[in-house]
Amino acid sequence: MIERLAYLWPEIALFIATCVVMVMGLSRTYATRKATATIAALGTFSAAVLSFLTTPDGGEIEAVSGQLYLASMVPYAKTLIGAVATLLLLTMAGTVDRAEEADIAKGVRSFDPLRSNRAEFYAFFLFSITGLMLCADADDLIWLFLALELTSLPTYIMVAMSTARNRGREAGVKYFFLGAMGAAVFLYGFALIYGAVGSTNLNEIAVAFATGGISSLGMLGVLLSILGICFKIAAVPMHFYTPDVYEGAAPQVSGFLAFVPKTAGFLSILLICGAVGWNYVIPPDGVSPLATVMPSAEGTQLPEVLRLTLWVIAALTMTVGNVLALLQTSVKRMLAYSSIAHSGYMLVGVIVGPGIAADSFSGNGVAAVLFYLLSYGVMNAGVFAVLAALERAPGRDGEPREIETISDLKGLCRSHPMLGWPMVICCLSLLGLPPLLGFFGKLPLFTAAIRAGEIPLVLVLGVNSAIAACYYLKLAFAPLTEVADDADGDPIVAAPFRTRAAAAVISAACVIGLALGGNLLMQGARSAASYTEADAIKSRVPQANAAPVDRNVAAH
Amino acid sequence: MHATSILSTWAGLLPAQHEAAGAAAQVAGAVDGPAIAALAPLLPLLSFVLCGLCAAFKVRSKLPAWITVACLAASFAAVVATTLDLREAGAGSVMVTPLFDWINYSWGTEAGQHFRANFAFHIDSLTCLWMLFVTGLATLIALYASEYMSHDVGMGYCRFFAAFSLFVFSMACLVMGDNLVLLYLGWEGVGLCSYLLIGYFYKKPSAVAAAKKAFIVNRIGDLFLALGIMLCWVHFGSVEYREIFARVGPSLELLREGKVDQIPGIVQLIPLLLMVGAFGKSAQLPLYVWLPDAMEGPTPVSALIHAATMVTAGVYLIARTYPLFLLSEYALPIVGWVGALTALLAATIGMAQFDIKRIMAYSTVSQLGYMFCGLAVLGSVGAAAHVFTHAFFKAMLFLSCGAVMHGFAGQLDLRKLSGVAFMKGWGVVGIAMFVGCLNLAGFPVITAGYWSKDMILGDAFATPGMQAIGWILLLTAGLTAYYTFRVFFRVFVGPKHFEPGDELHAHDDHGHGHDDGHGGHGHAAGHAPSHADFHPHAPGWAINLVLGILAIAAFAAIVPLMTGGDNGPWLASMVDGSSAKYLGVAASQAAHAAGHGDGHAHATFFGYDAHKAMMVVSGVVGFIGILIAYLLHYAGRTTAARSKADSLLPAFGPLATAAQHKWYVDEIYDLLIVKPLWVISNIFALIDKYVVDGLVDFLGWAPRAIGRSLRPSQGGELHGYAIGMAGGIAVLVLIVLLVTF
Repeated sequence: MIERLAYLWPEIALFIATCVVMVMGLSRTYATRKATATIAALGTFSAAVLSFLTTPDGGEIEAVSGQLYLASMVPYAKTLIGAVATLLLLTMAGTVDRAEEADIAKGVRSFDPLRSNRAEFYAFFLFSITGLMLCADADDLIWLFLALELTSLPTYIMVAMSTARNRGREAGVKYFFLGAMGAAVFLYGFALIYGAVGSTNLNEIAVAFATGGISSLGMLGVLLSILGICFKIAAVPMHFYTPDVYEGAAPQVSGFLAFVPKTAGFLSILLICGAVGWNYVIPPDGVSPLATVMPSAEGTQLPEVLRLTLWVIAALTMTVGNVLALLQTSVKRMLAYSSIAHSGYMLVGVIVGPGIAADSFSGNGVAAVLFYLLSYGVMNAGVFAVLAALERAPGRDGEPREIETISDLKGLCRSHPMLGWPMVICCLSLLGLPPLLGFFGKLPLFTAAIRAGEIPLVLVLGVNSAIAACYYLKLAFAPLTEVADDADGDPIVAAPFRTRAAAAVISAACVIGLALGGNLLMQGARSAASYTEADAIKSRVPQANAAPVDRNVAAH
Repeated sequence: MHATSILSTWAGLLPAQHEAAGAAAQVAGAVDGPAIAALAPLLPLLSFVLCGLCAAFKVRSKLPAWITVACLAASFAAVVATTLDLREAGAGSVMVTPLFDWINYSWGTEAGQHFRANFAFHIDSLTCLWMLFVTGLATLIALYASEYMSHDVGMGYCRFFAAFSLFVFSMACLVMGDNLVLLYLGWEGVGLCSYLLIGYFYKKPSAVAAAKKAFIVNRIGDLFLALGIMLCWVHFGSVEYREIFARVGPSLELLREGKVDQIPGIVQLIPLLLMVGAFGKSAQLPLYVWLPDAMEGPTPVSALIHAATMVTAGVYLIARTYPLFLLSEYALPIVGWVGALTALLAATIGMAQFDIKRIMAYSTVSQLGYMFCGLAVLGSVGAAAHVFTHAFFKAMLFLSCGAVMHGFAGQLDLRKLSGVAFMKGWGVVGIAMFVGCLNLAGFPVITAGYWSKDMILGDAFATPGMQAIGWILLLTAGLTAYYTFRVFFRVFVGPKHFEPGDELHAHDDHGHGHDDGHGGHGHAAGHAPSHADFHPHAPGWAINLVLGILAIAAFAAIVPLMTGGDNGPWLASMVDGSSAKYLGVAASQAAHAAGHGDGHAHATFFGYDAHKAMMVVSGVVGFIGILIAYLLHYAGRTTAARSKADSLLPAFGPLATAAQHKWYVDEIYDLLIVKPLWVISNIFALIDKYVVDGLVDFLGWAPRAIGRSLRPSQGGELHGYAIGMAGGIAVLVLIVLLVTF
């Protein structure tokens, strides 16, 4: 346990920052309270730097973590989490207590320590990011469960407190109840896995699966775990909450939701699928898929049952997300549905797994998922940052309102070029237009799936990318067009928070810049996705060979 | 089929096996080139960016011109430095200067699972030769253009020099790239710049039409070039020259053993595809039609792009991939015949035109034909020499025509100008024109043009089976001398007379003023009241300086052609030290050195050594051409409009009219290609409207319909969502259970 601490420096840094923020949040002075945002930013930034510095030379990490498969994923994942979290934090400025702080600035009202929620909000933000990083570290189902919930619980509250309107509270409550249901499902799945294997340690589970095969109970446990985690990634059938919650929350929090729980979910799914392993073969005709849930040396896919389930989920998720996004006029709802669709794309990478030629980026689905998480995180932060940076001038009720529809974005490139162009660039990248980051994210998903022979899935992916083009182009061209007659009255102005616009510009710059340096990142993702085959597990744990054989004999 | 016999003869000409193997090994093990070589393309790129900035900041001075001239001159210096480095590395060495990894993609570790096309520069003597005259001439012509384009100072000026710089950058990529993909990038880049610059006067419909024509006709060639490059990759597993040349070995071996039919068909197909690309870019039959129209661009553009550099890209391509061309039975004979027929056809058209710039354009097409013939008859040295000398004298001819155009308000009709050289301030132009004409006509001994043309003619007669081409070229040489001096005797000497063109106020051929209503009185004879007020606008210092330098350079081009070090003349050693050599060296050795006893067939010209005979024969032919031009167009001519030649026209009857109408090639193309395509495209438009659009509408409708049917599931009710989730899980688990049990 002690040696794992050495390896948790980013989380420790984040946790320290969280504590500092919480303690400062009790302060009676306004200046101290204001500083919490800076502390939070320092926390996420230093976590990103620390994650980057712990970049392994593989072997060391393996020895320390005791995690045999997907061990090198950890530093890559944490670095990307830290970096994107810093970007997201920039958009969070002024989310809570805006009216009070404006009054204080005007001198209408004096600072009331009891009414300020600022520090809590940033503390929740940091807690959630800490949980997300811990997900990447998990080598135990209990750890994984706690980390997932540490990621999610703060988000429920963040949604509820992000706007002063009732809609945000309704969204928070809805999100909480449905989230609890999702958590119950995957917790049940974890329990079943424990029941089947007798251990909660992912590593031991992997060895047991690799040597003794997967029993029906174990398979049901794996399925329920993944279905439950589908809530976090907003995949069918756990996607229903997404549009309502994203629409109810403030745009910056929606952007947060689209990245943080999704990343936690994908890291968890990768860990669980990693424990099951990708070295199974397609069962011959007439044989029940469960009969062969035994890894094989020639195998290159998940167990057929699991593959089929994920296949159906992926195809449905992409399609449902995209066709519903097509109908939306509200920008946030459209982005919510499209975020569902992006989860579907990434599931393709999970299905493919490390592939036969794991050391080439184009054939490695896990690397594709990891790279896609990074690119999606950046593009998504940019789009939501633009939405967060815009608002309608205060109307009769004196409160600035969010912008709602796509037509609100019209003429943005002219009126606010620093917001309009990032919007255009990020949307084109989300759609996967070639020179931009999104293209380099999507390309390996395609190539990996083609190399794995998942041609029908590639076709679904292709058709869905085409559908996505319809609404993303609509969104990308709105800022370029001339302003329409605004019947709605209140003009659209930039919100008075510079960091939000800065986040948009940085995201757009990353979308272009990272695409140019994409080769390096892809290499990073590839080495992060290096997956230790179950054969290796067998050879490393020789005593494990004997026990399962006994178990088999006993079963017969 | 006599092609086969030619091929077997070539097999005899092949260097000994170890030589080829040595060359391949040497090519494969290239050393790192000097970093300064990268400056040659990068400086024009910098200039492009700076000119763009000038446009952004609305600079209204000659600043863009000086930026361009400075950058191009520095680029030229970089090329010179590179050439010196290469010389130190020794004859025949190949260096590669990598700039950055451009496309470097692998999907496995086996051979053929790696695609690499980096931004790296392949530096050998052929590259240096080409780059020397490209950057050198570009610098001079930019200087010329600084004065020539002065009427447009402002946005147009920035636009012109930006495109000009971008052209030089693209040309440098084309010539210096170490792989075919980079060459293709440059190839498309020069095509784009050509399009932009031909259409420089974008308000003039004829310029826009010419730009489109050039672009579209070039697309046809480019398609084949792209296919050729793809096949190269398919067969050789690489697009890098070094790799390709290293892997061409087995096929060369087969060729040497005479087993031509065992060379894979795909290898024989590659040069045929590349060849069509070269025909497009270098304006050869049947794709030459764009070049004469391209003269709508400003004259410096015509001089640089459409005479000296871009149009020689096709010659460069073939010279660069010469080993591939040797492997095909048909490629080089086709190149030869196309070149010869183009040379003859363009010369006959040129004889009958009245627009002096157009005559020069047809003469360019014709001379490019010579170069292709040179390649085809295994005289790559002759071809390169002709590219080299032609670049100087043709650029100079164009620039002289441009000076006339600049000074006489766009007047280019040779019936309306006379005795220009004797007018005040026009002396330099007259001398430059005279020097250029002498070179183009191939005036014996003293002109570089004579020597380079002579090499090609000699090689043609010396190569078995190619004598017919030689005769065509010899006839063309006579025609060339005639039409060249027809221009000179009509426009530059004789009684002084001029009628200004129709661009009185602007002194140039730009179209901005065309709709101002004064175009109507332009060409009418004895027309303009303003004629009396018109004074020719003699060229200024920049134009005179450039013409002077070029006049000297055109003569000086003899020096590298005729003198050099131990490896023969400098220019020949440059070509032989590159991929254009393999057989070229053997052929020229066979022709020039003591290799006559090798036992292989070596054709003669009526029993004389072809090269020696040609020195006399081509000189005499050129002289006769000039003499005829003198008799018909100078002797006894008293007016600008008429000469003795007019009285001979009826004797030629319809032939003369047809030549004047460019043999109706444009009309034939229109009838055979454009019209049918137009009809087909209309049919496709109908299919598109009713079938494809219907399908697309359906595809657009289907996702929406699915979405609408799914929409009720998103009602916003918490328990509805919870039921949805639970139900979804239940359904999925049920499916699994059904599938597994």
